[in-house]
This record gives sequence, structure tokens and C-alpha cells, in this order.
Amino acid sequence: MFRAIFYKERVKTIWYALLALIVSVGFAGYMMLRVSRALSLQGPEHIWIVMLQRDVIFVDMLKFVPMIIGLGFAIVQFVPELQRKSFKLTLHLPIRASHAVGAMLLYGVVALLVIFLPALALMWGYLQSVLPTELWQHIIFTTIPWYMAGLAAYLLTAWVAMEPTWRMRIVDGVIALLLIRIYFLSATPESYNGFLPELAILTALFAPLSLISLTRFRDGRQD
Amino acid sequence: MQNVIECRNLTHYYGKRLIYQNLSFDVPKGRILGLLGKNGTGKTTTINILSGFLQPRSGECYILGEKIGEMNPLTRQRIGLLIEGHVQYQFMTIEQIERFYSSFYPNWKREAYYELMSRLKVAPKQRINRMSCGQRSQVALGLILAQDPEVLVLDDFSLGLDPGYRRLFVDYLREYAKAENKTVFLTSHIIQDMERLIDDCIIMDYGRILIQMPVDELLGKFRRYTGNVSEGFEQKFDSTILNPSVLRSSLEAFSMEPEEAVIKQLGAQGVKNIVSERVSLEDAFIGLTGKY
Amino acid sequence: MLRIIKIIFWALVAMLALWELPWCYNFFFTGGSPSVPFTLYSSVVGEFAMLDHNDKKFSYSDRTGREYTEEQFDSILPMFYYHQLVTDGRFPETICGVSVTPRQIQISNFNYRIEPAELNKPQIGLYQMLETMSGRVDLVLPDDVFRLTDTGIEFIDMATNSVNEKKSKAFTDMMLSKGFRFPAHRIAGNPTDRKEYDEGYVMLDADRKLFHVKMTKGRPYCRAIELPEGMTPEYLYITEFTARTMLAFVIDTEGGFWVVNRPSYDVVKTGLPAIDPNEETLLIMGNMFDWTVTVRDDVSRRYYALSASDYSLLDSLIYDTPSDAIKGLDFTSHKDKFVRFR
Repeated sequence: MFRAIFYKERVKTIWYALLALIVSVGFAGYMMLRVSRALSLQGPEHIWIVMLQRDVIFVDMLKFVPMIIGLGFAIVQFVPELQRKSFKLTLHLPIRASHAVGAMLLYGVVALLVIFLPALALMWGYLQSVLPTELWQHIIFTTIPWYMAGLAAYLLTAWVAMEPTWRMRIVDGVIALLLIRIYFLSATPESYNGFLPELAILTALFAPLSLISLTRFRDGRQD
Repeated sequence: MQNVIECRNLTHYYGKRLIYQNLSFDVPKGRILGLLGKNGTGKTTTINILSGFLQPRSGECYILGEKIGEMNPLTRQRIGLLIEGHVQYQFMTIEQIERFYSSFYPNWKREAYYELMSRLKVAPKQRINRMSCGQRSQVALGLILAQDPEVLVLDDFSLGLDPGYRRLFVDYLREYAKAENKTVFLTSHIIQDMERLIDDCIIMDYGRILIQMPVDELLGKFRRYTGNVSEGFEQKFDSTILNPSVLRSSLEAFSMEPEEAVIKQLGAQGVKNIVSERVSLEDAFIGLTGKY
Repeated sequence: MLRIIKIIFWALVAMLALWELPWCYNFFFTGGSPSVPFTLYSSVVGEFAMLDHNDKKFSYSDRTGREYTEEQFDSILPMFYYHQLVTDGRFPETICGVSVTPRQIQISNFNYRIEPAELNKPQIGLYQMLETMSGRVDLVLPDDVFRLTDTGIEFIDMATNSVNEKKSKAFTDMMLSKGFRFPAHRIAGNPTDRKEYDEGYVMLDADRKLFHVKMTKGRPYCRAIELPEGMTPEYLYITEFTARTMLAFVIDTEGGFWVVNRPSYDVVKTGLPAIDPNEETLLIMGNMFDWTVTVRDDVSRRYYALSASDYSLLDSLIYDTPSDAIKGLDFTSHKDKFVRFR
């Protein structure tokens, strides 16, 4: 039965997921192309030195890409369910509503990992071939909170989207915005390194919030 | 007779607005019960409570002996639900949606679904959101037939259907329910065609139930009376005469009371040329609830 | 289950409230810290002199309350305003009984800032060793970087991203021969070509012994710097001032502030009271007679005057800068460049 849920999610999101994968990997590839061009035009010395002295990491443009992909994924996955209340169909399935919603979120998280990890792998693969450990780790570690923000944006948007009333949706939306801000508090590369475990736990805590919206939906809360 | 649906003392408010108080009704096995009422009388509220999407202020509902809200999820395999407007997953094609639902229901009747689909002029790859309302109603109905539930809960199935599809839906459903001894609870605000479908009816007014009885019984008792009155007529009927209205010199009134008693009362108040006649369910509905 | 989730929700809301509400309060209802006049020690009058800006008017005074005109103020701080004095033709022949030229002042003046956020920030762990005696006027950045490992120092050629084994071994051997025990505890340098000269790095080894490491004519130079008895260095700052009389500043584990003189390598304790470079910002404005050291923390701004010859404490002045800001939950701080709960 969970396979059927995954099937339904796939039908909804497959085109978006493919597009997101292309954007995610494409952006990462473009960033690597820029590094490669800079290396050949300006020489490795220049690249290493601007990284050491001026906090340059070459991948800044990636910053909000995972967040936007995550947000979009939740919209593509949950808005069709909420159009004309067809979410009721999902909740009427002969499985626990919390399991149905859990399976939907699990699908989304796995899909986002499938979208994000190849991008990270691509960057890692290229950077470790041209930069010393310290420098490629410097870049990769800096991007980790951005990718976490992608998962967080997905989970929070799902929570906000499933909320049945507009009044609470706005309140939840403000809370979600403030929570997302936590992922973008510092422009200094690697400043989140020591905070990544806490950030991972925080991100995981966003997953069960959807069950609050689910309960409110089932209680028939209306504006 | 065993009750498949039992509702006891349902009371619900939206904010401070009372929808109804102490609403109780049963649907025995094998019967088709229609909850009829004008817009805003709480039909969808009742469906939402029955399908577990609304927690009533007070009161309890049971389907198949299980309390709603504490129902074992597997019990929902035996309950078919049609959401207002024949909503189904808009993003799926008729093939995808069949494939999706089939794994949830052990008695899935694939043929029943495709038999109905074969009558629709839709391409297999056409998504539901690009179908007409009538076509969508057939998809939703086909899915319920394939699910083969014991109980069907249908919310305002006539909404948005043209007469042809409405008739198709009604006939198909009636034949199916009677042949398979299914229990059906449905709501509608369009009364036409209901006579062909439902066994029992509950007619609701704002905040209360007006009547609750088998349709045959209602149509047997309920009569319309017309007659002529003189100018300046002022009616002083008792409460057995329902919704009397005077248009120029013509009087129209309804009653459930025996014919002789009604004619006697009308005659005593000076109504002339009294004609008594049986009415359709729709006329009875208007007679009970008024035109406004 | 739902109860636990609601607790999570309210915990998140509480976290946001603790974070945002104090911030809003501080933003709307508290003025910044009270302003403090610009203060410098004047060896000419032997007092702190202040320039204040009130009601769109400048006022010049010293701590005893004496008022000055703008021109008088230039004259009591000749090391700071020497340019103005030269332009006005008012530059004196002697200052504090010593005959000086503007050029001497220019060479001996220095400013140095020690900031918590510079100390506590992500470190990449790659450094550049410049050639200290290139024979050219301008410094040149090298084409390699180095890292400190558990067992030595490793030079990596940037063009090929490969370790230069020969150079690495030469430096490691030299450092080991001088008693350096890896891994290094701390390193400080200023690898840039935009300075007058290069002194390489000062490092603490695994035993917190202090070393000076640089490259001279392509060869490693390493020198163990003898430390006074009982002094354990913790934080290092390479100076590279124009006057070339100092190599580095050192803060010990007790907060004592030390100067490593050049070329003697004497480690001399200054008269500064204990400071905490993780919490306090230091600004040192030095000249050939005296240093004015400003120490700023959340609630005060403290001025210390040190003698430039023996670093003894001449005078001090403390302004309280109480803050009525309320402390909430924070993720960032101006005192470091890390994100964490605090």
C-alpha cells in the first residue's frame, strides 16, 4: 500500500523532480565549470589565494537553489492534494492517515536527496581532483547547510500547505520563514561546521509538524 | 433490521452559528437514504462528520458498528466515499488512478471500473483535470463500484451534472445498490430524480429535521391543495396546513394530514373549488421547506 | 504522539520567540551604547586627552578638565596630528624634550587591532610562507602553500596540487632540530604582499613553546624563543610594524599581554591588566613615546596608557558603557564567526 502512495507521489512530481534534478546538477556543474575556467584562465595560484585570503568559494550562486527546489517540491506535491479538498481521498484510504502523510513526506525527502546528492557528488568529484583537502572541504562544508535548508523548506512548506485554515497558514508561514532564516545567518564559509548536528536535528523536527496540520484538517477546522 | 449507519444527537456549530442540534438518524442495511435540504442546512457537515473530516461539537456516529474517529483504518475498505463535486485525484489518468486504488482494496473489481470507463469518450492517457464534470462523475462512480464497499457515502453527487449524466448516475447506482444489497447515504440539493433512487429521506431545514420517513410513505400522505379565495382573505389555518400562499385569488397549501380533514378545514375558512392532488418529491420538498 | 509533536511545535515557537522578541525590543527600545569621547594619551600633558562631539559642537579637553582650542589640541597630541602640525608650520623641534622629525613619527606610529571575531572564525589551515629576503623591494607571494600536520610541515605546490617533499622535509627537519614538537598548537602570520616586510610566522608547538619560523633565501629559518619562567602563551599576533622593533604580541593563558621584541627576541610583559581576546576588542595606537590601548567589552571601554620604552602602565581611564539590551537566544555574535546556540 505504501508502494501505491509512492506511485501517486511519483505521478504528481515526476516532471518537477526531473527538472529539479537537472537544475540542481546543472547549477553545480555550472559552478564547477566556472572554477575550471578560472583555474585555466587565472591559474591555480590565484584561485587558491583568493579562497585563502578573501573567503571566495565560487559556489555562492548555489546558496538558495536547494531551498527553492525544496519549496517547489512541496508545492508540486501537496497543492494538487489540497485543490478541491482531494486530500480527503488520501485520508479515506484504508491506512492510518499519519502513515499516509508520513509516506508522502518520506517520498519527498528521498526524492530531494536523489536531487541533491548527485550535485554534491559532482562538486566533490571535481573539486577534490583540483584542490587540496582543506579547500574542497571548505567549499563542500559551506554548502551543507544550504542543502539542509532545501529539506527544511520542503518539510515546512508541506506543513504550511496541509494546514486547513488561511489564518493559521499565515501564522505557520511566518514561523516557517523565521525557521528557514536559521540556515542563512552567516555569509562566512564553514561558519556552520560546528552547528551541523544541531541543524540536522532541527531539520528532522520539522517533519512531524505536518501531523498537526493533518489533525486540524481531520477535525474540520475552517476559516 | 441491522443499522449500518447510526448517528446519535449530533450537534454542531460553526463558530456561534448553530447548524443543527440533536440530529439522530439510522440507515438500515440495504437501504438508500437521502439527506435533502437547501444549501446551508448542514448536509455537507453531516457527510464530513460521517467520513471523519469533522469533529462534531457533541454526539456520536457509528458506521459498521465502529465509532467514527476511532475507526480501524481497514474498516474504510468497506466504505465508499464520493466527495462533493466528484473530486478525484486530478493529476492522474483513468489508468493511473485505477492502478493506484486497486492495491488498497482486496475485492477490487477492475472490470466494473473499466466497463463504466469504456462508455466515456476519453483517451486512456487523458488526465482527470481535463475531463468534463460528467466524465469525472463517472470516474468517481466507477472507482466506488470497483472498490465494492458495503456502505456508500455520497456528497451532493448531482452537483454540476447535466440531466443525462444525472439520470445515468442515478440509474446505475440504484441498480447496483439493490442488486448487491448495499447501504447508501447520500445528500443532494437537487431533488429531481431522487424519487427514482432513494428509499428513505430526511428533509432538513435550518437547524432541524422536518421529516424523516420512507419516500413512499411521504408521497402517499403528502398532498397539495389549491382553491379560490375572495379578496382580502386572511388565513387562520392551524399548523397542519403547511406553507399556505395566496397569489391573487388562488390559494396553494400542503399537508400531510388525511385528505378529508384538510378539505374540511379549508372549506370552513371559505376556500372554494378545492382541488387535492398527489405531488412529486420535489414538490413535496418545496411544500415542506417553502420556496425561500 | 500528537502531544509530543505539539511540544515540538511549541518548543520551536519558544525558540523563535526567545530569539526574535529580545532582538525586536533591543532594536526599537534601546539606544546603542552611550557614546564615549575619542580619547588618546598625551605624553605632552601626561594625561588622557578627549575630543567630544556634543550638540554638533566639538570640545577638546583633558581628564583634569582643562579645555583646549582645536590648535592647542593638535599640539598636545603631536604624534597623532603631526601631519596637521607640519601643514600649519607648527611642528615643534622637540617633543617631551626629545628632538624628532615628522619622518621619525611616521615610522614609529602604529595601529593594531585584536578582535575576537578574527580569532574565532573558521580556519582553512593553509598558509603561505613568503620569502623574507627576496632581494627585491616588493614582497612576492609564493607559488605554494603549507599545512601543519601531526608530524611536520607540508608544502603544496599550487600549480600541480602536489606536495613538495624536498621543501617539506627541509622545513620539518629544521623545526625538529630546533626542538619543535608537532602538532603545532597555534600559528599566526600575515601572509600578504601588501606590507613592507615579512617576518613569517610565530607558532606554538605541542608543548606551547614559542617559535619563529620563516623562509630566508629559500631556506628554512626556525628559532625557539625563550619564554620567561611560568609564562604559558596562548594567543599570538605577528606585528610587522614599520619600525621593526617588535616581532609579535603574545597573550598568555592568564590574559597577560606580552611583547616579543626584535631583534633580541626578548619577551617583555606589558603593564596591561588581564584581557580576554575571546571577549574583548583591543585597539593599540602606538607612537615613539606611548601607546594608548583601548579595551572594549559589552559594558565598558577602558583606556590604558603604556610607555613605549618599557611597556609599563602610565595611566588608565574607564568609561562605563552599560547596555540596557536584553539577552535572548542568539545564533551569531559579533565576537566570532560561528553559528551556534548561545
